Amino acid sequence: MATDNAPPMDEKAKRTRELLASFYSTEASTAGRAVPVSPSRVATLDSINSPSFDPDVYMNLLIRKTNLEGLLHKHVEMAAEIKNLDTDLQMLVYENYNKFISATDTIKRMKNNIVGMEANMEQLLEKIISVQSKSDGVDTSLFAKREKIEKLHRTRNFLRKIQFIYDLPGRLQKCIESEAYADAVRFFIGAKPIFEAYGGSSFQECKISSEETMKLVIENLKGKLYSDTEPIEARAEAVVLLKQLNFPVEDLKNKMLDKLEDFLLDFHKESKRMGITNTELDEPNGASIAEFSKTINAYRIIFPDSERRLIELAQDLFTKRYETIQQRITEQLSSEALMLALRDIWSDVSLMDQVLPEAALPVISLEASRGVIKKYITGAFSALLRYVSEALTGPQTSPKGTEEQRTLQTALESSKKAVIQGSMDCLLDFRHLLDDTFELVTKMRDLIVDWVQEGFQDFFKALNRHFLMLCGKIDIIKNRVNAAEGFRAEKVQTGLVLVLAQLSIFIEQSAIPRITEEIAASFSGGGLRSYEYGPAFVPGEICRLFRSASSSFLQIYITMRTQKISTLLKKRFMAPNWIKHKEPREVHMFVDLLLQELHGVGAEVRQLLPSGLTQRHHRTESTGSTNSSRSNPLREDKISRSNTQRARSQLLESHLAKLFEQKMEIFTKIEHTEESIVSTIVKLSLKSIQELVQLQTLNRSGYQQIQLDIEFLKNPLKEIVHDEAVIDFLLKEVTNAAHERCLDPIPLEAPIIDKLIQAKLVKNKEPNSR
Amino acid sequence: MQGGSTGIVYGGLKYQARCIADVKADANNTSFLAGTLSLKEENEVHLIRLSPSAAELVCEGLFYHPGEIWDLASCPFDSRLFSAVFASGETNGAVIWKIPELYGQSNSPPLEQLVSFDGHPCKIRSILWWPIGKHDKVISIDEQNLFLWSLDCSRKIAEVQSQESVGVLHHLSGGAWDPHDRNTVAAFCDSSLQCWDLRTMKKTNSIELVHVRDADYNPNKQHIVATAEDETGIHLWDLRMPNFPFSELPGHAHWTWAIRHNPQYDQLILSSGTDSTVNLWLTSSNNSDDSTSESQSDSPTQKMDPLLNSYTDYENSVYGIAWSSREPSMFASLSYDGRVVVESVKSYLPRK
Repeated sequence: MATDNAPPMDEKAKRTRELLASFYSTEASTAGRAVPVSPSRVATLDSINSPSFDPDVYMNLLIRKTNLEGLLHKHVEMAAEIKNLDTDLQMLVYENYNKFISATDTIKRMKNNIVGMEANMEQLLEKIISVQSKSDGVDTSLFAKREKIEKLHRTRNFLRKIQFIYDLPGRLQKCIESEAYADAVRFFIGAKPIFEAYGGSSFQECKISSEETMKLVIENLKGKLYSDTEPIEARAEAVVLLKQLNFPVEDLKNKMLDKLEDFLLDFHKESKRMGITNTELDEPNGASIAEFSKTINAYRIIFPDSERRLIELAQDLFTKRYETIQQRITEQLSSEALMLALRDIWSDVSLMDQVLPEAALPVISLEASRGVIKKYITGAFSALLRYVSEALTGPQTSPKGTEEQRTLQTALESSKKAVIQGSMDCLLDFRHLLDDTFELVTKMRDLIVDWVQEGFQDFFKALNRHFLMLCGKIDIIKNRVNAAEGFRAEKVQTGLVLVLAQLSIFIEQSAIPRITEEIAASFSGGGLRSYEYGPAFVPGEICRLFRSASSSFLQIYITMRTQKISTLLKKRFMAPNWIKHKEPREVHMFVDLLLQELHGVGAEVRQLLPSGLTQRHHRTESTGSTNSSRSNPLREDKISRSNTQRARSQLLESHLAKLFEQKMEIFTKIEHTEESIVSTIVKLSLKSIQELVQLQTLNRSGYQQIQLDIEFLKNPLKEIVHDEAVIDFLLKEVTNAAHERCLDPIPLEAPIIDKLIQAKLVKNKEPNSR
Repeated sequence: MQGGSTGIVYGGLKYQARCIADVKADANNTSFLAGTLSLKEENEVHLIRLSPSAAELVCEGLFYHPGEIWDLASCPFDSRLFSAVFASGETNGAVIWKIPELYGQSNSPPLEQLVSFDGHPCKIRSILWWPIGKHDKVISIDEQNLFLWSLDCSRKIAEVQSQESVGVLHHLSGGAWDPHDRNTVAAFCDSSLQCWDLRTMKKTNSIELVHVRDADYNPNKQHIVATAEDETGIHLWDLRMPNFPFSELPGHAHWTWAIRHNPQYDQLILSSGTDSTVNLWLTSSNNSDDSTSESQSDSPTQKMDPLLNSYTDYENSVYGIAWSSREPSMFASLSYDGRVVVESVKSYLPRK
C-alpha cells in the first residue's frame, strides 16, 4: 500500500512512514533489513530508513550506479521486502482489533457490579455512630476515680521525700564512714531546698543535725585538701565538692598559695646561702625544685583558675635566680660556673615548663640568660681592659732612675702578655659558653658569637682610647670636661708613650691576627646582625686603628722629646746678647745637655725598638777616618773664601751649593726603629738650632762660639745618628746661618777649635773617671 | 701637592727676607709689601703688585730701608703708609713710613719717615694697626712692654697714650689686635698668650703654657684665636674657655711659624713653617662655631683630613704669609731666601 504511493500522496506516505517507524523503531536497529546491499550504497541505503528519504534520488542513484543484473536483483529483493511489509501490516491491524473488543467487554461487566454497593455503605455508618456514644459514657463514669489515684500518688512521693530528709543525718553519717563524700554532698544539696523552705519549723532538728554532719564533711574535705599524701585527684575532687557546698574556696586557695610563696622565699634564702658558700648548689636545689614543680602541678589541677598567680610565682622564682647569677658575675665568675648555674636553672625551667607551659618560662629564661651572658661577656672585656691597663701603668709608678730602664722593657713585655694572654683567656672562657651541648646555648649560639666579636671590637677600640688617654692625647672635644682638669696638668711619661707605640704595633701585628684566627676557629658564624653592619669584629679596622695609633704615639714621643730639647736650646740661644758675645773660651755647656738628652732618648728607645740599621757596623767603621779630620775641607774652603767676598755673593753661592747638593730629606717618615726616631729627633733639634740662630744677630765672637759648639757636636752626633750626610748638611746649615747672621764673620782657626774641643773632651772625661 | 708650580713667583728680593704684608688700603690692586733682612747690605722694601691678568707679579716700587726689617705692617686705611720694625746692628727701632709719590719713575725715591716709635726700653717686636679700618691708635710691642700710641698722621706725631710692662719673666714676641674689639689686644710670648684691655691696660685673659710663635684672630668670629706653636702645631682657642683648645691641627714637620685666617672664608687657615712648606687647612665648621654641644657629637665622625693642601715649592723656611684682603682667594708667601710666591686657593674654597 505504501510502495505504490504516487508523489502527490506525499502527506499520507509520511504519516504511514512515521507510524511504521514508531512501530519498528526497536526492530529496525537490531534487524537491519537493508544491510545485505553492496557497501558502496551505504549512504543511500541508510537513507531508505531515514526520515529524509528521497525515492527519486534513490532511484537515480540506483539506476546510475548499478548494472542491469544488479538492478534486476534489486527489483526482486525490493518486491520481496514489500510483500513482507504488507503482511506485517495486516497482522498488526488484526491484533489491535482483538484487544479493542476485549476492552469493551470488561467495561460492560464493571457497570453491572457497581449497582448493589450503596446500601452496604449506609449500614456501616450507623454502626460507627453507636460505638462512639458508648465510649463517651465509659469515660465520664471513670473520671472521679482517676483524680483520686493521682492525689494519692503525689502524697506518696512527698512522704518518701520527708522520709529521705529524716534519714539524711544518718545517711550522711554513713557516707562519712564510708568516705563517700561525693554522695554526702549530693544528698545534702538535694535536701537543701527543703531545708531552706521548712528548716525553721518542722525539720529544724533534722536540718541542724545534718548540717553538723556536713560540717564534719567539710572538715574532712579540707583535711583531705591540705594533706599532701592524698592523691591529687582526690584533692581536686574535694575542692569541687567544697565549691558545691558554697564553701569559700578562694580563701583556701589564697592560703595555700601564700604557703607556697613562703616556701619559695625559704627556698631563695637557702639557695642564696648556698650560692655564697659554694657553687655546687644543684643538689638541694634540684630536690626542692622537683618538689616545687610537683606542688605547682597539684595546684594547677586542684585550682584550675589559679594559673596567673602560679605563673607569677614561677616567674618570680626564676628572675630572682637570674639576679643572683648576675650578682655573682660581678664577682668574676668563671664561665664554667656560669654555664653550670645556667644549665641548672635551665633544667629547672624545663621541669617547670612541663608543669606550667603558660608561664612561658623558657622565653623568660632565654631572655634572662641572654642578658646574663651578655653581661658576662662585657664584664669579661672590661676586666680585660683593666688588666691590660694595670699591666701597662703598674710598673710606671714604681721607682725611677735605673730601675725605670728595666721597667720600660718589662712594662712592654707584661702588657704584651696581658693583651695576648688576657684575650686568649677570654676566648677560652667564652668557648666554654659555646662548647656546651646545652639547649639554651644552641639557641643563642649566634648571638654569643656576635657578642664576643662585638666585644673584641669594642675592647680594642676602648683600649685604643685608653692608650690615647694615657698619652694625654685624648680627643679634646670629646672629653672636654675631663680634659679641662687633666689636659695639661698630667705629665705624661715619655717612656710610657714609647711602650704604647710598641704595644700598638704588637697588637696590630701579632695579637689581632692571632685573635682573628681564634675567633674564626670557634666563633665564626653569627650573622644575626643585619648585613649592613657587616661582621661584628673587623680586624682590618682595628689593625688600621692601632697602626695609626702607633705612628701617632711615635709622633707624640718625638714631639715631647723635641719640645724638651727646644726649651733647652731656646734658653741657650735667646738669652745671651749675641752682639756683645765674648770670645769663645770653651765649648758651651749646652752641648752636654743636648747630648745628654739625646743619649737619654737613645737609651729609652733602644730598650723597646729594634735598631733598624743593618749596615750600622760598617758605617761607623767607614766614618771613623773622616771623623778625625775635624771639618769638611770643602766647606772650610768655602767659608774662608767667603770671608773676603761680599755677603751677597756668599748667599748666592750657598744657594747654588744647595742646588747641586742632593736635596736633603730632613723630614722623613718616622719608622718603628731606634735609628729612625733618634735621627728624627736629632734632625729636628739641629733644624731648631738653625732657626734660632737665624733669629739672632751675632758678633764675631758669637759666630765663633757657635762654630765651635757645632764642630764639637759633629762627632758625638755622628755616633748617635748614622746618617752622616744629613748631619753634615744640617750642621753646615747651622754654621751657614750663623755666618749669615754675623756682622763680622771670621771663623775660628782650625787649631784653636781643635784645642778647645780637646780641652772639652778631657774635661768631660774627668768627672767620669772620678 | 703637584710640585707647587701653580704659584706666581716674584724673584725680585735679592736678600733674605721674613716679612710680607698685604696692602689692605689699596682697593684697586692686589698688592703686597715685602721687606728684606740683610745684615750688611742696604735693605729694601718692595711694593709688589699682581698684574690685572693675575699672571705675574710686578715690582711697583722699590725703596731702600735703613736696617733689616723684622716686622712689617701696612696701614689698613692709607695704602701709602706702613710700619716697619727694624734692626741695624745693635740699634733697633720702629717707624711708620710714607711711600713717596711715584709719578711713573721707579728710581727708588727715599721713604718719608712719618713717625718713629721711640722710647722703648727693650727691643721692639712688632707694630699693630687696628686691622679693620681707620683708627687713630697704634700699638707697639717690645719684649716687655705694651705701648698704645695715639697717631696723628697729618701732624706726623705719635704720642704714647698708655703703656704697661708685662714683667721681665715674659719675652713678648708679637701680638694681634682683636678685630672685633678695638680695646683688646693679644700679646704672646714663649709661654703664654695674654689678652690686654687697652682702656685699663690690664691683663684680662690668658692662655698659659703654650709656646706661641704666632697668633691670629678669626676676623669673622669673635673670641676665636688660632695659635701657631713651635712643636705642637696649631691650636684653635675660644678665648672664653682658655683652659683648652677646642681644636688642633697637626701643624708642620718642624716649627709652625706663622698662621693666618682667611679674611673671608673663616674656615680656611694658612700656616707656614720652618719645614719649607705652607699648609692650607680647613677647620670643620662646627669647631669654629660656638663649639658647645653639637661639636661633641660631630667630632668622632669627622675624620676628614683638615689639611687641604701643602705647598712645598720652597727652598727655605717660610716666615711670611699674607692673605690678600682684596682677593681673599689669594695669598702671598715669602720664604727666607727672598722668594715671594702668590698662590690661589680657589680650587679649595668651600662650596656654598
